Amino acid sequence: MGIISKIINWSRLKSPWVLHFNTGACNACDIEIIAALTPRYDLERFGVVLKATPRHADVLLCSGPVTKQIESRLKRIYEQMSEPKFVVAIGSCACSGGVFNGCYNVDGGINKVIPVSAYIPGCPASPKAIIDGVVKLLQSLEEKPREAKK
Amino acid sequence: MSEEKIKQELEDKFSYLKDAVIIKRKGRISAQVTLDKFNEVFVYAVKQMHFLALSAITGLDKGDGVFEVIYHLNREGKVLLNLSVALDKNNPEVKTVTQYCPSADIYERELMDLLGIKVNGLASGHRYPLTDDWPKGEYPLRKDWKGNSGKTPGLKGEAGVPFPGKEAQNA
Amino acid sequence: MHESGDVRIPIGPQHPALKEPESFLISLRGEKITASSVRLGYNHRGIEKACEERTYTQCLYLIERICGICSHSHSTCFAQAVEEVAGIEVPARAKYMRTLIAELERIHSHLLWLGVAGHEIGFDTLLMYTWRDREVVMDLLAKLTGNRVNYGINTIGGVRRDINSKQKEEVLKAIDILEDRTKYYIDLAKGETTLIKRLQGVGVLSHEDAKKLDAVGPTARASGIERDVRKDDPYAAYAELDFKVISVNSCDVYGRTLVRLGELMESFSLVRQIIRKIPDGPILAKSSRKIPAGEAVSRYEAPRGEDLHYVRSNGTEKPDRVKVRAPTLANIQSVSKMLEDRYLADMPIVIAAIDPCFSCTDRLIAIHDAKDRGKNTVVWETIRLKGIEWYKDRGIDFTSLNKKLTKLF
Repeated sequence: MGIISKIINWSRLKSPWVLHFNTGACNACDIEIIAALTPRYDLERFGVVLKATPRHADVLLCSGPVTKQIESRLKRIYEQMSEPKFVVAIGSCACSGGVFNGCYNVDGGINKVIPVSAYIPGCPASPKAIIDGVVKLLQSLEEKPREAKK
Repeated sequence: MSEEKIKQELEDKFSYLKDAVIIKRKGRISAQVTLDKFNEVFVYAVKQMHFLALSAITGLDKGDGVFEVIYHLNREGKVLLNLSVALDKNNPEVKTVTQYCPSADIYERELMDLLGIKVNGLASGHRYPLTDDWPKGEYPLRKDWKGNSGKTPGLKGEAGVPFPGKEAQNA
Repeated sequence: MHESGDVRIPIGPQHPALKEPESFLISLRGEKITASSVRLGYNHRGIEKACEERTYTQCLYLIERICGICSHSHSTCFAQAVEEVAGIEVPARAKYMRTLIAELERIHSHLLWLGVAGHEIGFDTLLMYTWRDREVVMDLLAKLTGNRVNYGINTIGGVRRDINSKQKEEVLKAIDILEDRTKYYIDLAKGETTLIKRLQGVGVLSHEDAKKLDAVGPTARASGIERDVRKDDPYAAYAELDFKVISVNSCDVYGRTLVRLGELMESFSLVRQIIRKIPDGPILAKSSRKIPAGEAVSRYEAPRGEDLHYVRSNGTEKPDRVKVRAPTLANIQSVSKMLEDRYLADMPIVIAAIDPCFSCTDRLIAIHDAKDRGKNTVVWETIRLKGIEWYKDRGIDFTSLNKKLTKLF
């Protein structure tokens, strides 16, 4: 059992599958996320694959302040992902509400709804910052594979 | 048709519009109408004067108990006629114009949701842009609306379990 | 029209084909769509109300973030409206700067759209190619304004940064590269049979329907309506520049592709003209913090269509009312018409063809898997509770897991 779980862990860390979800953002961070997957920055060479459904994803890339309409959807998506799962908040809006903090339809950052593993600030977060953030998250997970394995 | 000709035609056709039509600059005309006369001016502008496109409908709270609704009518993209009508805040009601301009549907829903203006005759459909569980009587764009004071729907924990990070949120 | 026996499928707000949250309810008979309706509002953030509590300059930064793809459109449109109310005359050099950034933004937006359209029809190579070319424009914008997206170059009365001769040369070089590559895409669009077959006849919006539903932008221009705010109601420096309004009569997604490709070529020519003709002079006109009372409507040709801003001021330093009518709100009502009698597989490209930008649309603020095509309507809540119970029977309880994870991070 030990070696199989080691292999599973290794593949999770070496090739995280991501799901991108826009929770009411202005799209700037979203196009930077997609730009991170295109030939100039090319996240796919690190094994990062963009998946279509939460059930296949390890990492949830979230951008945007959470609007009231999208709160329940965000929660559902988070629950549909299978353990272990990590959430990355991309952009100032996802971290804390950004420039929309205080607006009536906005709750604040994503951490008001789901637990967040990594915060990548910026308005928008440039693809270099996104890559940096994802790599840091993977490095921090390598140090605690046992707890993440649950 | 130049802006002067448009102004002349409106004033000739509707005597009560004298001094109510202003040419702001090239391509921008404003006209103030009362609610009872609004329909005939609107229909005339759309059908006879070829202001066929409705670019937007703006609703605003002028303060002092007056609402204003501005219909931005567009003639071949070149001239904008801003037809504004004043409403009483205590009973703001307009009739829908979707039978002349089908695109008015979503702008009128916005008026209903954000300002609480009643639009009569609108077909049934989803509200826009607020959530279905937005509390009744709360109209964000009114000047006296200063925030949700804890009444807007918060995130309820499913099956009574508060979601992580939101333990203090009221159910 | 929806009839009994038709299956209702919700698509969105999270769906792989949609880059932004919006929800469509489609009625299907077999693979044909019989009725559709749109639910918007997921991006509603309460911007119009927030503008009333911020000064005009603060509003500018908020308005810029209505949308990341057309951020310059919104900020210029707003600045123009405020300048009209206050009677500020923007210097000519500033107008040319604004036009230059506007055209570069149009180039980046159309290349983005090409890539997204390719992705929606399953042609991922096109996505990779166009977004690689788009990086040329992004670098240029970063050099000129300091940021790849959300440029922040506008201010009330003019622009904040100037262009020097070295940057002008770089712009011209980049435009040459891009024009070369765009010619390749035009050849592709005109000659590649699979692309033509996939896009022709899809998402048809007839000329009369486009007029009736007030479509704007490339969606309208592909249906033969020759309307472009840059020509009809010139703003910034467009009155002094020479360009064509591209329109075709095919009324389908293929037409919209051709219109956008044509506009790319026109944008290249416009950028060259701007670099050649930009006059010397100041880039900023003085303006006071308090804007006198008045109102103005400002229109702008964003890459997606006509953008309309209405600003009313009351003599203080904060606006009284700001209303934004984004182009996608005008176009979304024609999507239902376009989807009539089409196949489900065409849905993503039809929606993508109007180049939707829902964050522009909702800005104020049914996860249903598209695979849930069962004939019985099961409420999502039931499925979810079933899932939780299934795991509980196997000894996995989510509530305690969530608590453990929060402690971990």
